[in-house]
Amino acid sequence: MDVIVCVKQIPDPETKLRVAASGKSYDPDGVKFTIVNTYDEATVEEALRMKEEFGFGAVRTVTVGPARSEEALRHTLAMGADEAVLVETPPNAVLDPLLVARILSAVIKDMPHDLVMVGKHAQDDEAGQVGSALGEYLGLPSYAFVTGLTPDSGAHVLKMARYVEGGEEAFGGPFPAVVSLLKGVKDPRTPTLPNILKARKKPLKKIPLPEALAKVGALPGAGNPTSETLAFTLPPPRAGAKMIEGQTPEEQVEKLLKSLKEEAKVL
Amino acid sequence: MTLNIIVVTDQRDGTLKGASRESLSEARRVVARAGGGDVVACLVGHNLGKAAEEARHSGASRVLVVDDEKLKAFSAAGYAHAVGLVAAKVPAPHVFLAPDTTMGRELLPRLGARIGGSVATAVTSIAPEADGSLTVQRKVFGGRATETLRLRGTPVITLRPNAFGIDASPASDPPVENVPLGDLPAVAQGVQVTNFTSTRGDTPDLTEAQIVVSGGRGMKTAENFVLVENLAKTLGAAVGASRAVVDAGWRPASFQVGQTGKTVQPQLYLAFGISGAIQHLVGITNSRCIVAVNKDPAAPIFKVADYGVVGDAMTVLPLLTKALTKQ
Ligand SMILES: Cc1cc2nc3c(=O)[nH]c(=O)nc-3n(C[C@H](O)[C@H](O)[C@H](O)COP(=O)(O)OP(=O)(O)OC[C@H]3O[C@@H](n4cnc5c(N)ncnc54)[C@H](O)[C@@H]3O)c2cc1C
Ligand SMILES: Nc1ncnc2c1ncn2[C@@H]1O[C@H](COP(=O)(O)O)[C@@H](O)[C@H]1O
Repeated sequence: MDVIVCVKQIPDPETKLRVAASGKSYDPDGVKFTIVNTYDEATVEEALRMKEEFGFGAVRTVTVGPARSEEALRHTLAMGADEAVLVETPPNAVLDPLLVARILSAVIKDMPHDLVMVGKHAQDDEAGQVGSALGEYLGLPSYAFVTGLTPDSGAHVLKMARYVEGGEEAFGGPFPAVVSLLKGVKDPRTPTLPNILKARKKPLKKIPLPEALAKVGALPGAGNPTSETLAFTLPPPRAGAKMIEGQTPEEQVEKLLKSLKEEAKVL
Repeated sequence: MTLNIIVVTDQRDGTLKGASRESLSEARRVVARAGGGDVVACLVGHNLGKAAEEARHSGASRVLVVDDEKLKAFSAAGYAHAVGLVAAKVPAPHVFLAPDTTMGRELLPRLGARIGGSVATAVTSIAPEADGSLTVQRKVFGGRATETLRLRGTPVITLRPNAFGIDASPASDPPVENVPLGDLPAVAQGVQVTNFTSTRGDTPDLTEAQIVVSGGRGMKTAENFVLVENLAKTLGAAVGASRAVVDAGWRPASFQVGQTGKTVQPQLYLAFGISGAIQHLVGITNSRCIVAVNKDPAAPIFKVADYGVVGDAMTVLPLLTKALTKQ
């Protein structure tokens, strides 16, 4: 059973954001990038856990991103992935999630894949589109909001849990499939120094964007597949909470309720 | 320019979710602004009688239903196929809307990929343009920035719950049109739900609630958490928790709000004894009003809260419950 995990390097959730000169994205200058999207780190962990518990074949990681994303891939190799593929985009390219999914599908088609895993969403665009779209483009079932999975290779089904409104569902479905993970069973492991060193020598294949795009076949339907970003804006800085003062807790509570009713109008 | 908006409703538990009615309401408003068109409620699943009846009275001008035993378990591939069958009965140009529930979020990107649509998820506003395209806004980076997008071709959109509001629906009650499913495509076969553990109890669902009362490690013990629950009960609110509470085993994981838990979008979020770690904050920034009660005046949650009370949660909680019960 060969697994592919799609990962994305994103700005650190606590880094300061500034609007780029174009007004259409953030300015990557001076931005600290995470090693990898947190959900994707959880997904790599889940893939490695399954490999260890169930004796899978290889775990391969793939990203579509600029040269700096190699760092993210090396991190996944240091965690224990076997090989990695970087589809290298121009430094500041912002790609629509559906286009990313198409590029990923074109690359994944050439790789062995019994299971394709993605994170719930990328913490930058928060689109949550790539998993379901990948399923469609690869002609595979897709399952989302998954919180843990177990393959049953004999019956050729995955046993999964997923969040739905009002509860949690245990469900099963066939694979090969694409799974979007909300969280894994275990917290992501921290790579050890020897594994970090080993990761430098593990295979990492680079595919230039044009070559990957050439593999992307004709688009389905007649529609324009991508959205166009018109503006990227930051909200005015938060003033911070209005602090409710008072001599006694009783007085604070009274004032708070008054504010919630008369000012915020939420009660 | 007229637009026919196909609203893919969510009725996973047999009744039309509030978020689905909200999508129908917004579809009506968009159609009105665009200059006319149909609002088509599209229901996919099994045993949809009750939900279809509700859809008839929720602002739809047409109600199309694909009701089939084979659709009992949700699958993005199967449902996207069924929505395609409904769309074939509706004249173009199409816009697809769905609430940004777990079902909507999983289904619409797949549908978008299938039809070559232009997809945006969890949008907070929709403006029709003269050329039939739509301009939408959505939050990105955990609510720290806003993106404005133009969707051309066939827009495919999920709507952030509670961002739009529900209008009183007009007195139209269209007939239910049944669309036969035929065979389910192979890629959609074999999905089976084996168990459902309800976490609903007698409180509203976290992701749908208008008010959420949450507790953190500052509640000190599992027993004290009852104070959070009492206030929630008084307010008809859902109960949430930080991961520290879940890790301590005070409440199950289904209560967790944040990055690896649930994203909430209530009118009012009340946080007791929660420090305000970034992983918690990303789950609550869509709340309209945030109140934090924390004994530490320097707690980071006060930076994002609208109202703050420096105090002991164990004192403030019962006082709030008492004051609200009296009314
Ligand atoms: C990958 C990852 C994912 C994560 N996902 C989530 C997630 O989904 N959700 C989540 O919540 N966290 C998540 N976390 C954890 C997060 O980083 C914090 O550790 C967690 O939110 C802290 O919970 P807390 O605020 O309850 O506890 P603490 O940070 O310990 O804060 C307790 C607060 O209570 C206050 N307090 C103490 N006593 C009282 C009192 N008597 N009255 C009032 N206030 C009092 C203290 O001043 C303090 O501010 C995640 C972390 C990681 C690394
Ligand atoms: N550029 C990318 N390269 C590889 N995987 C990606 C990329 N963008 C998104 N993904 C994967 O798709 C998931 C959902 O991303 P999104 O749909 O953009 O929110 C992420 O958690 C990743 O697993």
